[in-house]
Amino acid sequence: MMTRRGFLTHSCSLGIASATVASTMLQLGFARTAAAQSAPGYKALVCVLLAGGNDSYNMLVPTDNDQFGEYSNIRADLALQQNELLALPGTTANGRSYGVHPGMPELQSLFANGDAAMLANVGTLLEAFDAGAVQSGTAKLPLGLYSHADQIAQWQTAVPDGRVAQGWGGRIADLMQDVNLQNGVSMNISLSGSNVFQSGNQVGEYSIDATGDGAPGLNAYNDGTEFGAFKKRMVDELLSVQQQHIFRREYSRRLRGAIDAQAVFVDALQTSPQLTTEFSPSYFSQSMRQIARVIGARDALGATRQTFFVTVGGWDHHDDVLDNQADMLPAVSKGLQEFRNALVELGVFDEVTTFTTSDFGRTLTSNGKGSDHGWGGHHIVMGGSVNGGSIYGDYPILSASSPLDVGRGIYAPTTSVDEYFAELARWFGVPTSELDQVLPNVRNFYSPESGEAPLGFLSV
Amino acid sequence: LAWWHRAVTARDELRQRVGFALSEIFVVSDSVDILIVHPDALSGYYDTLLSNAFGNFRDLLRDVSLHPAMGVYLSHINNSRSDPVNNIFPDENYAREVMQLFSIGLFELNIDGSLQLDNNNDPIPTYSNVEIREFAKIFTGFSYGGDSAFFGKAYPPNFQTPMQMFDDAHEPGSKNLLNGTVVPAGQTGMQDFDAAIDNLFNHPNVGPFIGKQLIQRLVTSNPSPAYIERVARAFNGDTTGVRGDMREVIKTVLLDPEATAAPTSLADFGKLREPVVRYASILRQFGANSDDGFIAVLGYFLQQLGKQHPLSAPSVFNFFLPAHSPAGEIADAGLVAPEFQITTSNSIVGISNIIDFVILADYVSDSPQGFEPVSLDYQEYEELAVDANALLDRLDIVLTAGTLDSATRQAILNVITDVEDVSQRAKIAIYMFLLSSDYAVRQ
Repeated sequence: MMTRRGFLTHSCSLGIASATVASTMLQLGFARTAAAQSAPGYKALVCVLLAGGNDSYNMLVPTDNDQFGEYSNIRADLALQQNELLALPGTTANGRSYGVHPGMPELQSLFANGDAAMLANVGTLLEAFDAGAVQSGTAKLPLGLYSHADQIAQWQTAVPDGRVAQGWGGRIADLMQDVNLQNGVSMNISLSGSNVFQSGNQVGEYSIDATGDGAPGLNAYNDGTEFGAFKKRMVDELLSVQQQHIFRREYSRRLRGAIDAQAVFVDALQTSPQLTTEFSPSYFSQSMRQIARVIGARDALGATRQTFFVTVGGWDHHDDVLDNQADMLPAVSKGLQEFRNALVELGVFDEVTTFTTSDFGRTLTSNGKGSDHGWGGHHIVMGGSVNGGSIYGDYPILSASSPLDVGRGIYAPTTSVDEYFAELARWFGVPTSELDQVLPNVRNFYSPESGEAPLGFLSV
Repeated sequence: LAWWHRAVTARDELRQRVGFALSEIFVVSDSVDILIVHPDALSGYYDTLLSNAFGNFRDLLRDVSLHPAMGVYLSHINNSRSDPVNNIFPDENYAREVMQLFSIGLFELNIDGSLQLDNNNDPIPTYSNVEIREFAKIFTGFSYGGDSAFFGKAYPPNFQTPMQMFDDAHEPGSKNLLNGTVVPAGQTGMQDFDAAIDNLFNHPNVGPFIGKQLIQRLVTSNPSPAYIERVARAFNGDTTGVRGDMREVIKTVLLDPEATAAPTSLADFGKLREPVVRYASILRQFGANSDDGFIAVLGYFLQQLGKQHPLSAPSVFNFFLPAHSPAGEIADAGLVAPEFQITTSNSIVGISNIIDFVILADYVSDSPQGFEPVSLDYQEYEELAVDANALLDRLDIVLTAGTLDSATRQAILNVITDVEDVSQRAKIAIYMFLLSSDYAVRQ
């Protein structure tokens, strides 16, 4: 029986529940697809979504006089100054030279050290770009091209001709999750809530915060006090009810799963080595710090494969692109450097590949201090397995009459997201025979059986 | 602060609730600095939604489009006409979103909300980048209003009056809008603007597109096509003769036979309550009050734990998408459940903890300095608590509208039977109710 005193001394703490390995699953459903291949060692993919469409033609910029001149003309009041760009050493295969945004010296250094590479002009495609077909209206284009909702989804689903609810990270997890200990903490961990990328048919994301131990506990639940025991009784009684209504069933399942997984997760996190690497206070850096901590706890979590997802929002710069990027790109650059340092500290830098995504690049032309929705854009990959210090893909030759320009300086991608993701998936351990399950559109651009890497930026 | 006080105490409760629903369709968010620095920006915007909630949709669409907070959020304020010499073109942001989100959506719809299909069985887009560029021309020339106002960023922000049109900065020439409508050259910017609003307002998609979302925000996530059609017809003016009569639309949404039918007769009827509504409902239901008469809620802990707060969506796409379908049973059944998109492992514990703070720890709100704390009134329930069954009966009526599952009822009864103190018993019963799936998901 609950005493008044026990009731009143209850305090609002985010309690850490006692250490029992939960057997209930956070994931929805129990059916497994094909048995996971044996996946030696540990690997993690870290997906950084720059939500809104990063104006990446100002993140990676041609620096040779000829191309810079074109860039400057086309971009008008959006153009950066040639002498403020941070040179990336070496040139690409086409003999051109490039630099990154002045606010990203850390990225420049990561690139120079071979820790990071750039991927040029990548975007969603249903089929290889054909300028004539686009002109004549016969081209098969991704659904909802230029619309945030569709494009941000397609970068996560890798399905450009339909609206599906599963992402390629979720499909990978559906295939491979059995390599991890099934303890209620998903293979897919998100710092930014629910997301399509990590949603599979069976596997969903485990959502944590960047603060504290990431997973809030239900107040007082089973915290060793009298009230804690009473609380546990109340909650357990409620959650043991077999609900008739489909939504109520789902809600109970989620709450039960969250409570149980939290116990496992927080216990595991205590084993993570204390990092000496310092992280900036930005949301992005703190999220990356939390990811590093979780990676540090991978053994206690029983994880040999993990994906992480973090969204950095606010890139839809229809206005004030120069000021906004000057504020926001440094945070990305610093966060990546800090994360790299933490991974080196943990001795797992080779095992973790971080990659950026975004809805689209933006119009090269200005709307008067801002740019509008584009298509192809440039991205960053970072990790010990990355063959860094190079720009992969094809950085377009900028020109007012470029065949890639579909209007207003929107450049069609020269590399499809399928190739980008195929490279990452292969490295992660998705078998050749399952690659087109994970990436349904991949065969339009890459043959899994070819035995070659799609783009070559990762050493398998 | 003002939002919470009004949401909890205002006597026009329905208008408040509809206003919140509208804020999840006509999204403006505090993610832009200037909107935080000028607090009257968002409060004024919200007032616009409230005052138009029972008016006409055309006025709502027009007023939203002219509000400087929206002008800032979707960047059509200080959007200038083309300057081809300098390779500068009108900002397309508002043009796209006003169509995609605020009026017609992405695809041609039938009146029951189903997609129209072409000869290849593919949905038919309502617009392309071509139409967006034409509408982008319409939304040029706006800047802040006010005495001696002028076009351009040098004029200081003014969120007190609608945006003003400056014809010099407005794109000249004709504009080709939807369904063959051509806005002729030579008109004033405001004439162009009103023509565009008319063009959107009169598109047949608006009834089903907006109607279905209102049903989803207020009643159920998966309305039948027939229900959507009835609401769309109300929008079209079938009964009143007036297109866009919001009063008629809301009435139809709430009083439709499907909305008022006995819950057990429709297996997948209902929706998950979102954190803001759940928390506000609790405060309303239990007579939130304070010694200074002001319901002071900062909402910080709701944002941090529940991951939601009015006018703070992560993007113009609101906190969740109307088509979100959680993997597993719900997706397999072909149903959507938008609010589950923000019901994640951390937020579901978060909202549970908020309920704990409010009910069990008497920490009803995060009141800032200078305001008296908020408390709830349990007297009615303490009086009933002597008889556990009577208490549960009453709570089932006021909290779960009679849809409390009998097994949940038994679970709560089992626990509260062991609690002798009536005040504690009432609170524990209320806590368990509010934590339960039965309350979380309203049928």
